[in-house]
Amino acid sequence: MLKKLLKYALLIFVLAGLGLTIYGWYLSNQVEKRFSARRWQIPSTVYSDTTLLYPGQRFNPTIFTRKLINLGYRRVNHLPAKKGELQITPVEINIFLNDLKTPWRTRAGFPVRVMSADNKIETISRIDNGDKIPILELEPEEIMQFFGPERERRHLISIEQVPEHLVRAVLAAEDHRFYQHAGVDFRGILRALITNLRHGAIRQGGSTLTQQLAKNYFLTPARTLTRKFKEVLLAVIIELKYDKNEILEIYLNEIYLGQKGSVAINGFGEASYFYFGKPLKELTLSEAAIMAGLIKAPNHYSPYRDKARCRSRRDVVLQSMQRNQWLSEAELQVELKQPIKAVGFTVSDTKAPYFIDYLTEQLKSLYRPEDLSSLGLSVYTTLDTQVQMAAEGALAKGLERLESSNPDLQRQAPEQKLQGAIVVMQPKTGHILAMVGGRNYSISQFNRITQARRQPGSAFKPFVYLSALAKFTPTTLLSNDPKSYTVDGKLWEPKNFEPVTEYTVSVKNALKKSYNLATVDLAMKIGLDQIVDMTSKFHFSTPLKPYPSLALGAFEVIPLELARAYCVFAAEGVQPFPLSLKGVVDEHDNILEQTHLNIERLIPPAEAFIMTAMLQSVVNEGTARSLKWRGVSWPVAGKTGTTNDFRDAWFVGYTSDILALVWVGFDNGDTIAATGAAAALPIWADLMNAIPQYRSETEFKAPQGVEKILVCSVTGLIAVDNCPEPAEVYFLAGHTPAEPCALHAKGGIAAKIIESLKDVIDEDDR
Amino acid sequence: MKTRPMQIVALVLLAVLLAGCPKPILKWEPAEAEETTPSEAAAEENPRAAAALQLTGQGRRLLEERKPDKAIHALEQAVSLDPTNGQNYYYLSEAWLMKGSAPQAKEFNHLAEIHLKEDNEWMIRVAQQADRIAELEK
Repeated sequence: MLKKLLKYALLIFVLAGLGLTIYGWYLSNQVEKRFSARRWQIPSTVYSDTTLLYPGQRFNPTIFTRKLINLGYRRVNHLPAKKGELQITPVEINIFLNDLKTPWRTRAGFPVRVMSADNKIETISRIDNGDKIPILELEPEEIMQFFGPERERRHLISIEQVPEHLVRAVLAAEDHRFYQHAGVDFRGILRALITNLRHGAIRQGGSTLTQQLAKNYFLTPARTLTRKFKEVLLAVIIELKYDKNEILEIYLNEIYLGQKGSVAINGFGEASYFYFGKPLKELTLSEAAIMAGLIKAPNHYSPYRDKARCRSRRDVVLQSMQRNQWLSEAELQVELKQPIKAVGFTVSDTKAPYFIDYLTEQLKSLYRPEDLSSLGLSVYTTLDTQVQMAAEGALAKGLERLESSNPDLQRQAPEQKLQGAIVVMQPKTGHILAMVGGRNYSISQFNRITQARRQPGSAFKPFVYLSALAKFTPTTLLSNDPKSYTVDGKLWEPKNFEPVTEYTVSVKNALKKSYNLATVDLAMKIGLDQIVDMTSKFHFSTPLKPYPSLALGAFEVIPLELARAYCVFAAEGVQPFPLSLKGVVDEHDNILEQTHLNIERLIPPAEAFIMTAMLQSVVNEGTARSLKWRGVSWPVAGKTGTTNDFRDAWFVGYTSDILALVWVGFDNGDTIAATGAAAALPIWADLMNAIPQYRSETEFKAPQGVEKILVCSVTGLIAVDNCPEPAEVYFLAGHTPAEPCALHAKGGIAAKIIESLKDVIDEDDR
Repeated sequence: MKTRPMQIVALVLLAVLLAGCPKPILKWEPAEAEETTPSEAAAEENPRAAAALQLTGQGRRLLEERKPDKAIHALEQAVSLDPTNGQNYYYLSEAWLMKGSAPQAKEFNHLAEIHLKEDNEWMIRVAQQADRIAELEK
């Protein structure tokens, strides 16, 4: 009987052993698979464009300094002596440049002096040998890393980069016998058991770092015996397969250390920037102890949450370090006196989140999301972070200004608040320099630049006028009289924005003053199909139908497509493809993708210039003239837009170098009770004033095929001596007025009236 | 292998014939008269254009080194700073020719033509470039 029992026991033991071995083998494979995948998963990094500096360039000191800080330069009070140091004085900026490494250019860092006066760069020279530098390229700025769908923030570190005092602080806080045990610390478990029994509650855990890692990687947080058993088994397997430093490195990169809004902070590399704004190697002992103390409960002990609680936890870690003889008593006393000081952060710190979303959409056609979060690609973009900062600032300020000037625009619910959007492009290259798709990304990820469909209102009119250039000149007279039109059997009676007494108006003035009646008159004269044909060339993806209201921008457009369409006027008739991506490079520096300027000729340069000249008059004398007193004194062309019931306010403005579109409105179509000139234009002006480096101040250059003629402001014919306020107007060659002004010519009706009046006045004088 | 006299004659004849043919269309011809170092006065008047000229020079050198991708990058930067300088478009067209892309070369050649219209010397080169693009298109 006993023999039989022993036999059964042996069988059960053998079977259990076999089962355990098979399970252990299975877990071992799992560990291998997961660890090797995770360890070699390198996130792809997105970079901004590089920044060019040159003598004579204007700059915005506030934004430029922020740019340098974002690039990782640290302010010092002495002449920079090593890479990454920055000294700013009232007249010069001394920078020890970091290395520049892009797929197109590499150079080692060197010390450079940028002398400036009145926010203008005077000279750039090397500090070491005094050589003058005609043009300097600053490295691209890291915008984000692709780390899985949750966009968790992580800054990977290797064990060699971790300062010894941080390793000791982590071990003191979590597992001081890490280098002695084999994954499970039985002494630790016994000690925890005694402590917990003594206090009648769970005061101490006996988990080693390896167990914590096993738990984080493979298990649920549930506190069950089965889970604990698995944890122990996994810890032993991990220890068998990897050496201590490898395990520690994975742990330091993996452990959860806090929350920044909706973004999880994982790993010490990232946490170091989040809490102290510097790389790991620069952490002080006290700071290292704070971070080690966070592992237990990151949000509970966070210096952002409760400084007293954070201090007491730090002190526990420091005392543990001292007990383990990693700190002398004297050092302990010094460190205990250190204040708790975190660097501060803003919840939504993702740079240019709407731009990143747009870029990600573009990248999806090239790479799978899992590849982006594992292949370690470097993604170079067109983003100019200085322009992005300026655009975000201008929009925030502009919307607040509108809300404070009109309390009716204020909404309590964050998702119902007044919205706005900006896109900034280079018209000749199509490079998207900045994109702000909404007021607050953490509240609404809907990108109003790329996803919204809104009526452009008068911002669409230039395409009507362009369609007319073959038959009409800027001085052709149009009817500005009220008229009725029948559309689909219904009566349609367009109105001007406000009543006017000009019943006849020139093409140029109709656009300048954005007259609706004259524009519809023009549209009907040239034919609506003609406008649809012309506009369809501009790559609007939204349908545009030949209805009279098309002339007034009643069909919805996507703002990015409208901005792209305006680029044609600024770029001599050539339309660029909007680019956000410049190139993709793999981890071995091989160029995988390279996007280049992609352009298409749409209209003759002369026609583009005529449109620019007319749109310049909108800014100089028309609906956008308030730009002048908002500090925009350089040559700009642009157009305002306002839709029915003031649902949308637009301004699209450009120079030869830069184009920006601003939209303001409510997502639900509520009225904003303001025109494009009142709501969108001031934001545009603020933006442009904040990026003086893009201000070339050169006049738009007339191409061949246009002629400038002095014309009578009344008749639009060649001006004669008596013409009142003659003006210079650009015409397409061959479309200039053929006749001198008959009205004011000697013998003309007007001239006769003037002569008679003169006689009357002369007689009275006598 | 021995070379027969007839083979030598044939090779010489072939060389003579080829010498009479048009130049290979992808051959890079560096400019001789161009000036890409801005004067101080020019830099004072238009600093953006002066800085762009530096990049134009870089682009041209990279083309001479037959590195069209890097040249395109430098020239696109030059266009960003000074979109009115037609030389950038000329060299961009040249870079695309080097890469064998006639449609892009054609667009930039057209832009070069628009911006260099007042410079006879450059217009000759732009016209020659257009011919080479047409050859590539065949």
